[in-house]
Amino acid sequence: MESQPNKQTGWCNGIAVDLYSGGVGKSCLLLQFTDKRFQPVHDLTIGVEFGARMITIDGKQIKLQIWDTAGQEAFRSITRSYYRGAAGALLVYDITRRETFNHLTTWLEDARQHSNSNMVIMLIGNKSDLESRREVKKEEGEAFAREHGLIFMETSAKTAANVEEAFINTAKEIYEKIQEGVFDINNEVCCTFLLNLAS
Amino acid sequence: MFRSRSWFGSGLWKPKNPHSLEHLKYLYNVLAKNQIVSENNRGLLVETLRSIAEILIWGDQNDSSVFDFFLEKNMLSFFFKIMKQKCGSYVCVQLLQTLNILFENIRNETSLYYLLSNNHVNSIIVHKFDFSDEEVMAYYISFLKTLSLKLNAHTIHFFYNEHTNDFPLYTEAIKFFNHPESMVRIAVRTLTLNVYRVEDKSMLKFIRDKTAAPYFSNLVWFIGNHILELDTCVRNDADHQSQNRLSDLVAEHLDHLHYLNDILSLDIEDLNQVLTDHLLNKLLIPLYVYSLTKRRRHSQLEDTKPHVSSVVSLFLLSQVFLIITHVPLVYVLASIILTGDMDIFSQGASENLVSYRVAQGTATIKPGFVAPTETLEKSLESSTTCSIDSTEHETPQHAECETGMDTQVGDSEPSAVAEDGTVDSIEAYVNITDEEKEQRLALESGVAPPLPLAGTSSGNSSQQQFLANKPFLEMIVNTLQCSENDYAALFALCLLYALGHNPGVNRDLLDGILFLSGRESTKHWYSTLLAERLIRIISTSCQPNCRVRLVTLELSIRLLTQLVMKNGQSYLHDAHLAAVEGAKEESTCLLRNFYKSEEIFLDMFEDEYSEMQKRPLNVEWLMMDSNILLPPTGTPMTGIEFSKRLPCGEVERARRAIRVFFLIRELSLMLAMEPETQLPLTNPQSCVHVNNVLDLNNSDLIACTVATKEGSKIRRFLVIDVIQLILVEPDTRRLGWGVAKFVGFLQDIEVTGDKDDSRCLHITIHRPLPSGSSTNRVPLLSARFIFDDHIRCMAAKQRLTKGRIKARQKKMHMIARLLDLPSNVQPCPSPPAYTVLAHRHSDGTNSRSRLAREPGHHRPLFTANNKVPGFATVAMRRESLPPGRMASPAKIRSDSQERHARNGHVVRSREGSPRLPRPRSEEIPLEDMGSKHKPRSGVSGTPSPPTEVNNGASQFPLKRPSFPSLYPPAPVGTPEPPSPVAVSTLESQVAEVETERPPAPPSEETSFTQMPFENGVLDKEDRKTRRRGMVETV
Repeated sequence: MESQPNKQTGWCNGIAVDLYSGGVGKSCLLLQFTDKRFQPVHDLTIGVEFGARMITIDGKQIKLQIWDTAGQEAFRSITRSYYRGAAGALLVYDITRRETFNHLTTWLEDARQHSNSNMVIMLIGNKSDLESRREVKKEEGEAFAREHGLIFMETSAKTAANVEEAFINTAKEIYEKIQEGVFDINNEVCCTFLLNLAS
Repeated sequence: MFRSRSWFGSGLWKPKNPHSLEHLKYLYNVLAKNQIVSENNRGLLVETLRSIAEILIWGDQNDSSVFDFFLEKNMLSFFFKIMKQKCGSYVCVQLLQTLNILFENIRNETSLYYLLSNNHVNSIIVHKFDFSDEEVMAYYISFLKTLSLKLNAHTIHFFYNEHTNDFPLYTEAIKFFNHPESMVRIAVRTLTLNVYRVEDKSMLKFIRDKTAAPYFSNLVWFIGNHILELDTCVRNDADHQSQNRLSDLVAEHLDHLHYLNDILSLDIEDLNQVLTDHLLNKLLIPLYVYSLTKRRRHSQLEDTKPHVSSVVSLFLLSQVFLIITHVPLVYVLASIILTGDMDIFSQGASENLVSYRVAQGTATIKPGFVAPTETLEKSLESSTTCSIDSTEHETPQHAECETGMDTQVGDSEPSAVAEDGTVDSIEAYVNITDEEKEQRLALESGVAPPLPLAGTSSGNSSQQQFLANKPFLEMIVNTLQCSENDYAALFALCLLYALGHNPGVNRDLLDGILFLSGRESTKHWYSTLLAERLIRIISTSCQPNCRVRLVTLELSIRLLTQLVMKNGQSYLHDAHLAAVEGAKEESTCLLRNFYKSEEIFLDMFEDEYSEMQKRPLNVEWLMMDSNILLPPTGTPMTGIEFSKRLPCGEVERARRAIRVFFLIRELSLMLAMEPETQLPLTNPQSCVHVNNVLDLNNSDLIACTVATKEGSKIRRFLVIDVIQLILVEPDTRRLGWGVAKFVGFLQDIEVTGDKDDSRCLHITIHRPLPSGSSTNRVPLLSARFIFDDHIRCMAAKQRLTKGRIKARQKKMHMIARLLDLPSNVQPCPSPPAYTVLAHRHSDGTNSRSRLAREPGHHRPLFTANNKVPGFATVAMRRESLPPGRMASPAKIRSDSQERHARNGHVVRSREGSPRLPRPRSEEIPLEDMGSKHKPRSGVSGTPSPPTEVNNGASQFPLKRPSFPSLYPPAPVGTPEPPSPVAVSTLESQVAEVETERPPAPPSEETSFTQMPFENGVLDKEDRKTRRRGMVETV
């Protein structure tokens, strides 16, 4: 039953959750983070559902695995399992679409019910490059994150702004939890990021 | 990761624009020239593959000629060629990722069809990658998952070949159904579900005929082994050492059930038949139900058949009924549990069930938890490669069963199995203790259960039948006896609850067992045996030191109401009702024990009430908690929620007693069909709310400026009501009226003087109750109040301090009334007490929801008692020192360390539960006795020996042998308490309790003199450090 993590490096599975029905947002973030060779180009959006990347925290190599849960909302068992298997989640909303922000509470309740209570959740307001079309203020995101104990950041998958930081900060938090021993090493060293389409 | 870009210098012309047809042509050349993978060109190939994905996506979105070129040159074949060489994970991963990106991002359907059309994708799917490399595995499985997301009625034909009976995407994926990496397993499950939901008859027929039996039999075997592992974990972990492991195993089981339910919910009849058949006969009946008869303590007895402990099986079956709703499955399973006998293991099911199940096609496999004869991989190979005549043996059986009900399933069974079954049923009877045997005999001979039977004689005989030859039901009912503890009983309750709430379980089946009978002949009858068992649990809960957890009590109550009530009408027999009322009495007695024994009693009381209202028991969530699988424990250090463990220490005992009282009170009111009129203690309807307009003529108004920490300064009038502090601003429309701008409860305030400014008070008003799930620890208001002069300031301080005490006393009186404590317990001066009582009454009779009172917008404020501070203080002092309510000797004996420890308990216990502690609850004492005298001790400074304080009965007995002693002694005979010594002792106590926060100097007399003292400062230092200590214990 147990995952068999690579003990030397430590796998970190995470899930990235995307609140917009368009969907490309989070998978673009994922590709942006896992494969830097894809240069952000104006007229090209590429996303991916799975990615792995090695990062270094405190001189230790940690391998992050990021899974996207898109398209599986119809099946309760699948969302449930993904949340449970993940050490971290990126909760992504679109700053140019208010409704994606309004979904946060529902999603969070759902996630908290299914997931390991130690799951690190990072709230991400994506598309920060589209300042002119902004509908959700940065302060609102910050306030929501503060209220629910999430980490918060605004990113742009287009310009790659803050994408690296978002993933790495989440990974750091997870790493700290591993150090503190809150995550069962046998099970959780392998941490998944989940990407999901919640709306 | 460094990726080589050495190919820049390879001499080939490279177009400047990376997104162009030219670039793809160039990449094609690269691929064509590097068909053999070598150390040298590895980096080049990886970058080429990556770039191809990028250009193709760009082409898909911008230039169709790009895709045409890709197809024309059959570039996918290069991929396959590369793959066939031992190219190493570096290239492999890139290849899979490129394909992933391709299929994920291609929007143009025609392009997608072309990509899929030449069968290369299927070749890639069946390619044997190096799956020991976890990265390759992860990329491979997510590639398959990505493909499965593209499945629909059109694309399915690219993957499923009708003529060759070949569906590699599916068959390759399910081979990983039991992969050790959970994410891989999840991906496989996702893929299977994505496949099943494609509506294509021939594909589904293939799935059912060729793969269903092998896959499902392997799946149930996997699940079964998993629960054996779970059972081992429970058996070996009496000390809660492997909570994490256990919680994983439980969550995994839930995952399985949800997955099965997701498949069943797709409602593919043929598939569901096979799945239900396998689930019932290879897992649920032979393992789960079979294990019901296995008591834990007999596990040392030899039993060659695999089984789990009865506790675990009750738990697992509850989960099954809470999750799976597929009617043919839950119906059969419920019937077996409620009416089945031991023959079920030999014959599969009783006769009527057989016919039902044959009709459903779910009785084709002989029951038994046995390993599949071959691995999934092998069975898939044989079933998919061989021709039709060699179809696996189970298929013809299906056909038979479907064609006729006459098929004798039992006939085909070898006699050995029948023998096996017989042995088992005998064994089940052997495996019982004498006590159980007695009970069994008693039940079988129809002897009345312990409580008087209220039913008619026919009820008696039906009782007799109730358990006759129903070993499973009997086991469940017997488990409800909490002789040692409620460990197993809780699961039996859960299973009964789950049975009753599963939409797939026929109501007829439960008629008279779990619900009131609806049949004409037995209208409104219920199972007296079950009712009595439930009532027994309820009354046991009221015993001091009993070992029934709150959650068990709450569930018993819920089942009892479900059993005997219909449409708000109770059909409980008088004898049973009397037993419930008796339990209510006992719970009241139990709580009287704790009344006032702890300073935080009031806060706990209100906190528990709101918790109970806010968070009623959720059985689904309860069954997700693996912690309850371990024997019940008391210590909060396990992190187990309070309601799911036994209380630890006096404070938790008090909390438990409060909760038991509430629960049984609620039950009693419900059975009597009466509304609650006394709870909650604070009636929000009678409170002033923000923006209410108040008639303040003849009220005491103290003008002040409220300066918040943020720097805002507002001019307001301070009004002190009976239970509330109100800040008003004058109503511009009516003279003498004011608009409430802020309201807070007096019981939650904290007042301190300002040592530099005698016109200032620091007032903090805490939040009454933790609001919602997000516990907001920020006080409602924390500000500096500046008054016009120090006289007014002093008056305000007096009134606030006194108001706080009075508000709390008032509520304590209300609680006393709830507990039927004699009202003369409190030797109060009659007029104020009267008023208080009157108020209590008016507050109490209007409960929050049931009796809405017209919102009192323009209510005159109750101020009579507050007018003359001096007088009131005297009255308060007399009131506040009833001998019966003095701190008990036990309490005084406890040194400060103990006290800290106890406070620590409170905090910790609350931490254990999901909500956070209400910030003040463990800190604020009921100041009525101690705080009033603080000044004296402060002035005199005499620390006193704790010897003098033995008057009064112990309100906080460490042992609680019997109830009569709980009543506080009559005030008549008690000595006059306020001897200075005793008082100062109390004071020192209070000071201790108050250490966590800057204390509210509780009395007017000292507030200005005490502060500037040097030792006051020292004191503060001391407090600070102690406070830190407190935090650490948290």
